[in-house]
Amino acid sequence: MISRRALELATAVLTGSFGVTVVVSSLDNGIGWSSTGVEAGTFPFLTGIIIVLGSLYNLVRSVLPAATLANVPIAITSIELRRLAGLFVPAAIFVAAIPLAGMYVASSLYVFTVLAIPRHQSVPRALAMAAATALALYVVFERMFQVSLPHGALAAALGF
Amino acid sequence: MENLSELWHGFTIAVTVPHLALMVVGVLLGILVGVLPGLGAPNGVSLLLPLTFGMQPVSAIILLSSMYWGALFGGSVTSILFNIPGEPSSVATTFDGYPMARDGRPTTALATAFGSAAFGALIGVILITFLATWVAQVALAFGPAEYFAVYFLAFASFVGMGGAAPVKTIVALAIGFAIAAIGIDTVSGSVRLTMGVDELVKGVNFVVAVMGLFGIGELLVAVEEEFHARAVSSKIEWREVFRAIGRLPRHSVALLRSAAIGCWMGITPGGPTAASFMSYGIARRFSRRGRHFGTGEVEGIISPETADHAAGTSALLPMLSLGIPGSATAAVMMGGLMIWGLNPGPMLFVDQKDFVWGLIASMYVGNIVAVALVLLTVPVFAALMRIPFVVIAPLIVIICVVGAYSVSNSYLDVVMMLGFGIVGYLFKKLFYPLAPLVLAIVIGDKAEDAFRQSMLMSKGSLSIFFANKLVTCLIVAGLALLLLPLVLQLARLWRKPAAPAAETTAQEKVII
Repeated sequence: MISRRALELATAVLTGSFGVTVVVSSLDNGIGWSSTGVEAGTFPFLTGIIIVLGSLYNLVRSVLPAATLANVPIAITSIELRRLAGLFVPAAIFVAAIPLAGMYVASSLYVFTVLAIPRHQSVPRALAMAAATALALYVVFERMFQVSLPHGALAAALGF
Repeated sequence: MENLSELWHGFTIAVTVPHLALMVVGVLLGILVGVLPGLGAPNGVSLLLPLTFGMQPVSAIILLSSMYWGALFGGSVTSILFNIPGEPSSVATTFDGYPMARDGRPTTALATAFGSAAFGALIGVILITFLATWVAQVALAFGPAEYFAVYFLAFASFVGMGGAAPVKTIVALAIGFAIAAIGIDTVSGSVRLTMGVDELVKGVNFVVAVMGLFGIGELLVAVEEEFHARAVSSKIEWREVFRAIGRLPRHSVALLRSAAIGCWMGITPGGPTAASFMSYGIARRFSRRGRHFGTGEVEGIISPETADHAAGTSALLPMLSLGIPGSATAAVMMGGLMIWGLNPGPMLFVDQKDFVWGLIASMYVGNIVAVALVLLTVPVFAALMRIPFVVIAPLIVIICVVGAYSVSNSYLDVVMMLGFGIVGYLFKKLFYPLAPLVLAIVIGDKAEDAFRQSMLMSKGSLSIFFANKLVTCLIVAGLALLLLPLVLQLARLWRKPAAPAAETTAQEKVII
């Protein structure tokens, strides 16, 4: 279970650290005024500062026990969290598998696993859908629009 | 009257067989992404974008804008029949649309929604027809300082009127600016904010951001609540369609008021979502039957739908004439314009008359096509909703992955897309607005350039932003909008010092 407060806090920390990164790396480009005009780092520097200040405000607001939204106690229940993971984890594994397996193999494996393993569909139907996905991708991208999708290291090793 | 002859010329471009076919394809695809949760107008349009690179710009924009109209209509279908908003901007339609459909009047609810939506869109297009040239003419005289002031006003109006918590809007905007700055700086040529990753030199493409923020993000929000698509009957009774549309003029006050709210929110970038919520809230307050809102009131459907479509349509006005998109989808289309080699802004009205007037004429025709098609296909798309979500979700993930990859054949883009998905989920969950983020990614560079050019002209003095009446007015209006939330907060405290400083915005209140 994740409370609204914790989620607000985490997001504020996330945006804040992005802001700090922006501020630090924009210093490399130089900030302020030079003979050629406003230096390249100035604008990112200012936006970084705004991000940091805004995140700090959001952070303080989420910590303060004020009568705000933060006392909507639960933002994500454990069941919702499981559903989220059920969607996101396979998707992340799918993306991670693309360089090795290639888009076609990875996507059909992905479709097959998320449909067949939790028994949403029977194995033959899941197989058919997986094959159809790869075929549709091939026809639409490789043939119709001449966009080459990654074939993967495995296919390259096999000589495709 | 010059506008009318230009418009006539536009019709000769838009009403040709290939363009009508594109409209039909666009509208159908639009309804599809509008109906499917997790796919909305912004990422539907950005998915289609890579496929338009080989087309004539006018054909491409007709396809994309038709998709936009289709998505706006499709979102209302699921709102009314399933109580599941297919688009964020049609959330307010569920409040009265679904109760009416559940009471056995789905045809009335749908026809009322489509009729008032078409009215809203029509008002928006008429506004564009007569106002866009004038705005463009004014803007032709703009220098960098004026441009920066207009950008500033656009960003400030998100903060002042967007409907989300102001500080969250500011953070979202600033993050968008920072993302836009990644890569090679157009003025000095130096490389910025790559954080040591060489591949980031080319910058972060907005399509990648849109796919993640709107595609994966929305999917993650949708998967949380396991919804069961329990449809009320989706059969259309044609006689009732005409009867419901015939009854619309009785609500002309609500129609006109909502159209005005929608146009205002579309031009000053508040966006369709904020417009529909605002219009619903105002209708509930002023309607004689306001107490009955939420139980299937006709005006409860008319108000959000009219405002939604009026805002969606008129969001293209500032995009065309100033180069500032009024909504997230308009921002994506503007990105497309730049890829096709057009320069959005007043010069379009001089150099690309065929493009501009072809588009405007196609908006009239496209909305008629959309109303007809959506009525004809309601049963088909309603059946689509019975496909279980677990089957649709992985397909949408694959579409987003392939879409992000095909932008520039880069694997890093796919990984970034997934990252944007998490950000999109968090932002949606916590009511950080996404539209200003996308807008800042698309036009952040231009705003920065305008600022730096004006600084060069004034040798580093900010006084250039107060050099003439026009630019002063724009800057002052922008500042006023920025400070508006603060003033309102103080006023509230002044009136009732003991009242808790509730920061619930209108949208959050409605959702909770």
